[in-house]
Amino acid sequence: MFAQLKARFGGPLAMAMLTLLGMWLIVMVTLPQLQMIDYSLRPNLLPAEVGGPKDGWTLDNYVTLFNNDIHRGIFFKTLWSSILVTVLTLIVSYPLAYYLAKVATPRQAALCLLMLIVPFWINEILRTYSWFIILAFRGPLNEILLALGLIERPIRFLNGDAGVMVGMVYAYILFMVFPLYNAIESLDDNQIRAARDLGAGTLRTHRRIVIPHAKPGIATGSIMTFMLAAGSYAVPALLGSPGSRWFTQIIYNWFFEGGNWNQGAAYAFLLLVLCIGFMSLVMKFFKVGLGDIAK
Amino acid sequence: MDGSVKLDEVVMRFGDFTAIEPTTLAIESGEFFSFLGPSGCGKTTLLNIVSGFLTPSEGQVLIGGEPMAGVPVNRRPTAMIFQNLALFPLMTVFENIEFGLEVRGVDKRTRREASERLLSLVALEGSGPKLVTELSGGQKQRIAIARALAVEPRVLLLDEPLSALDLKLRQHMRAELKAIQRKTGITFIYITHDQGEALTMSDRVAVMSAGRIQQVADPMTLYRSPSTGFVASFVGENNRLEAKVIDRQGERVRVDAGLLGELPGRAGAQAPLGNGQAAALYIRPEHLRPVTQGASGPQLEVDIVSVQFEGASLMLQTRLVASAELLRVQLGSELAKRASTGSFQPGERIILGYDPDDAVVLPDDGSPRLDEETGEVVETTAGTAGAVQPSGGADVRSA
Ligand SMILES: Nc1ncnc2c1ncn2[C@@H]1O[C@H](COP(=O)(O)OP(=O)(O)OP(=O)(O)O)[C@@H](O)[C@H]1O
Ligand SMILES: [Mg+2]
Repeated sequence: MFAQLKARFGGPLAMAMLTLLGMWLIVMVTLPQLQMIDYSLRPNLLPAEVGGPKDGWTLDNYVTLFNNDIHRGIFFKTLWSSILVTVLTLIVSYPLAYYLAKVATPRQAALCLLMLIVPFWINEILRTYSWFIILAFRGPLNEILLALGLIERPIRFLNGDAGVMVGMVYAYILFMVFPLYNAIESLDDNQIRAARDLGAGTLRTHRRIVIPHAKPGIATGSIMTFMLAAGSYAVPALLGSPGSRWFTQIIYNWFFEGGNWNQGAAYAFLLLVLCIGFMSLVMKFFKVGLGDIAK
Repeated sequence: MDGSVKLDEVVMRFGDFTAIEPTTLAIESGEFFSFLGPSGCGKTTLLNIVSGFLTPSEGQVLIGGEPMAGVPVNRRPTAMIFQNLALFPLMTVFENIEFGLEVRGVDKRTRREASERLLSLVALEGSGPKLVTELSGGQKQRIAIARALAVEPRVLLLDEPLSALDLKLRQHMRAELKAIQRKTGITFIYITHDQGEALTMSDRVAVMSAGRIQQVADPMTLYRSPSTGFVASFVGENNRLEAKVIDRQGERVRVDAGLLGELPGRAGAQAPLGNGQAAALYIRPEHLRPVTQGASGPQLEVDIVSVQFEGASLMLQTRLVASAELLRVQLGSELAKRASTGSFQPGERIILGYDPDDAVVLPDDGSPRLDEETGEVVETTAGTAGAVQPSGGADVRSA
């Protein structure tokens, strides 16, 4: 990398750029993470006791999660729900991305992309809150369904995980659509035509030709969506009910309500491990490397 | 197995633009049929109409006598070989060839047997487990053929399948394609802008220009008796002399070629040639030969501008003394030998003659023709008789 930069910008400038990049990675990413890990391995002490005999490294904070049934339940529920959000987002995004990449005329594609992007000019909290209104017990969605005679009485959408799912799919759809779009777009049209010409129907053409080609895009989109979902705070806080708490909310509580940063750090680190674990699994499953994803 | 293809008054429009003018055509079962025409004349469009990727704006397509309206691409008894081949890069050679059979629910063993058989047909035994990305250009070409043949199509559609190959391989593949077609008896519809390909492989050729079929004939007829000016210039090389019809007796026509005087020729097939009509006389370079002064038959006096040695023949670029038009002459090996003993040098004045049966007279119908210098299609407006001054024709004697 240095050789490339040097060829383009000359030695001193290349050196300066790499130093800045390295500094940023160390100061903004690596050191804070290391400090988090350090925090998570120490007991929560009064300021006076820090550095005293009780101070020292211990795994107690991690053990807490495994002893606390409720927290453990929420941890795994967050995992499953995030996977579900990822799958739902993929199901919604794939046809959309395919339409944008291969079916729509350039004009239609531009219009459609604009309609997708414009809502994202609005703050995530407001966007999520609009779903809170739409899905409310006396909200417009229930009114419409009632008026159409599809339901007899209003449904409590926000009572459970459904609202959170809807909100998250909506919040993260672009992170799935764009990698998918890029992947599908790069597929030669003649591949699709050849498959059809050889007799393949729509489903098989997608299963054997389009989806295998789009694998890196699917992996990238899934990893991003999963990470955002697992680490989401606003959506579950606004659209979830007390019964559908997210693990991030527990972490938040440790930090800002329990005042136990050490415990919070341990939980946060576990969430990070979960995300990295998911990422490696997906990459293994789709047989793609980090290089394919960074494309 | 009836692999005949009929186009019945087929028209294709894209918005205001008519890509295919009304076209009616019958291709016989088991025929090697080519569409030949310059870029953009609508060849691919026509092929897409047969394969079902495009629905004609008007008219209908019949394959094996059955109307294809409403029959989607994946249900038609056709298979296409794409210009870029479109092999599936993530699959092995086996998987590529077997794809069409897999779609049809053929079991694994039968599939493998079929693909082994096809691999030996295209002389690539043993490369089944390879990834297609590991193959050379010519091998990919053959796999594409095998993949298309696997579905046992009644009609194979080929869209300039050889254009990506180098010259040597292209010539080799021509013979191979023709052999495969004979062996399988499948109707081949072949698209090309390369007349060499069309003439060497085809049973019949349709020459197209600007969305219109100009002539459908076997290669020999196409070459010997072009029916329009476009075909005369596009297929093979031709010298074109503008003229007016003096009179016609059966096949034989006498024309007034302006400054060149009166010349005899043969009336083109079905060409309506009335007395006094604007026409053009087409003489191929190989049909012109040097004659001695006073010999019988038509005589054209020319100055040799340049000489090109082409091994078996000698190509002369000459200029007509009377009209300053350029005339290309090809001399066979016997005459070419004389060049080594000092004959046919630039600047020499010679007299050319031809057999009137070899000179085709066609009405100057304003049909587009090829500009011989740029190779592009130009529209000639009817009735602009008189010699066209060739570009760069400053002084006749300067050579
Ligand atoms: N989908 C389309 N929309 C609009 N115009 C089109 C479309 N497809 C083809 N055309 C036009 O129709 C004409 C014929 O195109 P076609 O691809 O059939 O040419 P071709 O003879 O195959 O040329 P080439 O040898 O360059 O492949 C061209 O002028 C092209 O611009
Ligand atoms: Mg084409």
